Amino acid sequence: MTGAQDGCGAPAGGVAVTENSSGEAIIEGHVIKEGAPVAVGYARLLNDGGEFVAEVPLGEDGGFRFFAAPGTWTVRVLAPGGARVDETVSADKGHTTTLQVSVSAAA
Amino acid sequence: MSRSDVLVDADWVEAHLGDPGVVLAEVDEDTSAYDKGHIANAVKIDWKKDLQDPVRRDFVDKHGFEELLSARGIANDDLVILYGGNNNWFAAYAYWYFRLYGHDKVKLLDGGRKKWELDSRDLVTEVPQRPRTNYQAKDQDTSLRAFRDEVVAAIGQRNLVDVRSPDEFSGKLLAPAHLPQEQAQRAGHIPTAKNVPWSKAANDDGTFKSDEDLTKLYKDDAGLDFSKDTIAYCRIGERSAHTWFVLHELLGQPHVKNYDGSWTEYGSLVGVPIELGEGR
Repeated sequence: MTGAQDGCGAPAGGVAVTENSSGEAIIEGHVIKEGAPVAVGYARLLNDGGEFVAEVPLGEDGGFRFFAAPGTWTVRVLAPGGARVDETVSADKGHTTTLQVSVSAAA
Repeated sequence: MSRSDVLVDADWVEAHLGDPGVVLAEVDEDTSAYDKGHIANAVKIDWKKDLQDPVRRDFVDKHGFEELLSARGIANDDLVILYGGNNNWFAAYAYWYFRLYGHDKVKLLDGGRKKWELDSRDLVTEVPQRPRTNYQAKDQDTSLRAFRDEVVAAIGQRNLVDVRSPDEFSGKLLAPAHLPQEQAQRAGHIPTAKNVPWSKAANDDGTFKSDEDLTKLYKDDAGLDFSKDTIAYCRIGERSAHTWFVLHELLGQPHVKNYDGSWTEYGSLVGVPIELGEGR
């Protein structure tokens, strides 16, 4: 795991939740295509003004995780073939918001 | 300086990845990315193990850099093409590092690993074997690197560019949103700094925006005075290396420094001024 003081990097799938994460406003989820995980792709977090905030490469299981702040956010998923899906979510402190993003088979 | 001096595109890499004198190097925050697949003939540079001092907070020294490049089979006259994930975030950091130690024949693959993957180009798992070299580094070029006292003295004098996200700049978040937020340092930004998030310089696919768009972004929208010297910072000096690349290498600004101490240092200093909110 990339320690918070060690760097700003985002490991694939996102940083793991620990016992210290209880106060975080977590947004996490998985990306699937025809029911199977999308392991090659990116999840981007945009704020309520549409500005980029963070990005993680998807994990082997298509997973991603962000540590946000309370409020409304957009998760933008990019995958090969020009796929781009936006999902709007809200986050709360001490709460984990979970979503499943489907990339269409045509993409 | 033109783009072709500092950037190559994916087609160029596919055509030249076997050329003698050309070395591809992947630099990712997630070192397992390289092991899962990388561009053919690319060597791996681990930004943390290879580029950071293991004990104190600083870079590997000149000797350490020489040892790293020698072990990777990179010679002084090789053209090094760096690429990585997330808009070349860490590749740009390594690029700055190569320049810091005097290796000028270095370029970035525009779009990096992300565009390569989104284009569904080939990745391999075979690790190339390159014969060891005897690399000779130069002394650090500190005209590219800012230290804390210089940053404090630059308040209101030079351009300060805070390249973190708006929420980190204002003090709402203490770290990028993919990281936990419990941090030791104070929140906020250096007074008089302009907030231009590093990622604004890149398109969604990780390629750099056009010179016209970049000039508009930094000069017209953010109000940087291009007649003054500039210091870029972020949280730990990696994202700001990307902005250093944009201002110094793409836009040809002559005096741009990266403050790698960045917010984890500045926000921990006793007695320095801090500004909260959206900036002015």
